[in-house]
Amino acid sequence: MRRVGDTAIAAVTVVALGSGTWLLAAPDATHTPPQPAAAEGRPDPGEERLGAGALAPSPPTRIRIPSIRVNAPLTGLGLTPAGSLDVPPAGNKNLAGWYEAGTTPGETGTAIVAGHVDNAEGPAVFYDLGALKRGAAIEIDRRNGGVAVFTVDAVEVYPASAFPDDKVYGAAPRPELRVITCGGGYSKATGYQGNVVVFAHLTGSR
Amino acid sequence: MRRTARLLTGTALAVATAGLATAPAHGGGVPAAARLRGAPAAAGTGSLQVSPATAVPGGRITVNTTECGARGTAIADAGSVGAGTFMLAPGTNEGEAVGEFRVPTGAQPGTYEIVAKCAEGDRQVTGDLVVALSTARMGAAHEQVRPRGSVKTGVGGALGTDPVQTAAGVAALAVAAAGGTWLLHRRARGDGI
Repeated sequence: MRRVGDTAIAAVTVVALGSGTWLLAAPDATHTPPQPAAAEGRPDPGEERLGAGALAPSPPTRIRIPSIRVNAPLTGLGLTPAGSLDVPPAGNKNLAGWYEAGTTPGETGTAIVAGHVDNAEGPAVFYDLGALKRGAAIEIDRRNGGVAVFTVDAVEVYPASAFPDDKVYGAAPRPELRVITCGGGYSKATGYQGNVVVFAHLTGSR
Repeated sequence: MRRTARLLTGTALAVATAGLATAPAHGGGVPAAARLRGAPAAAGTGSLQVSPATAVPGGRITVNTTECGARGTAIADAGSVGAGTFMLAPGTNEGEAVGEFRVPTGAQPGTYEIVAKCAEGDRQVTGDLVVALSTARMGAAHEQVRPRGSVKTGVGGALGTDPVQTAAGVAALAVAAAGGTWLLHRRARGDGI
């Protein structure tokens, strides 16, 4: 009887040793930011919710995306010398930015918000952006005290090498919003290989 | 006595009147006079021309004036919009002082007065700059600058060993250590396995 117990303990010990070593040393023991499924891409025809009327321009102050627990202040962003959108300071992991020479969120046109997926310390403000689903709400607080409410139309991933500028940054005939972060695979040599882009349009305000 | 008092009062009144009459020649009256003489400014006020008269934050603005004389220079102040002071120097056009500044990227929409003081004399001219958040309302002449390409919003700092997996591995090794210790004890007591 004692022999059986000893054998069981010996077996458990061996299994625990093996699995513990494997868990700590496994080469794929990494977790990556969530990436959107293909189903979050183009909406079905007629499925898009009706848009709301454009709001008067007012600079945004804060972005909230309740379904992925985002609630962050917004800072103004310009362009880099190369002409790409600048990014917020990487040190602050709960800070997003908006392109302040462009459209303010809520007025007619394409407003652009960007934030980090991670920084040197770990996950940042838009870490879960790739997990956002079509139909989710994005709320933008505005300096005039109002809130612009957007509804997500699509969540896409684009490689940096073939970034669709017109689709992402191009003018829109109605109030639209883009929320951008890094994504699309990661390699040590080149970093993140593209961007997750959320497409949304204004569906309400309060 | 009464006569003296009246004389003093009369003198004081005369001095005060003279002061009022001459004050506009030095102070706030100059821009008004300059406005009458100057070329029509883009924004419609003052004789400091501001172009473009409407700009977005980050935009480059040129200002010029003909009010400072043939080889005149001036110190201009765009502090109202947060751009500080800058110099106006003789430009390519005869008798014109020209300078440049950039609208701070954090500038709020609104109308801002840009003031230029001629280096010689105390002539001062003003012009208005309208800062808009979007060029959509500025007409087709000013195409809105759009970003290009992808955005560098991550460094890979979130990539690493999954903390849950690490915890599971550590727990498993702890179990193995406990089991191993127990078995070694048994062997040391000579019970054998």
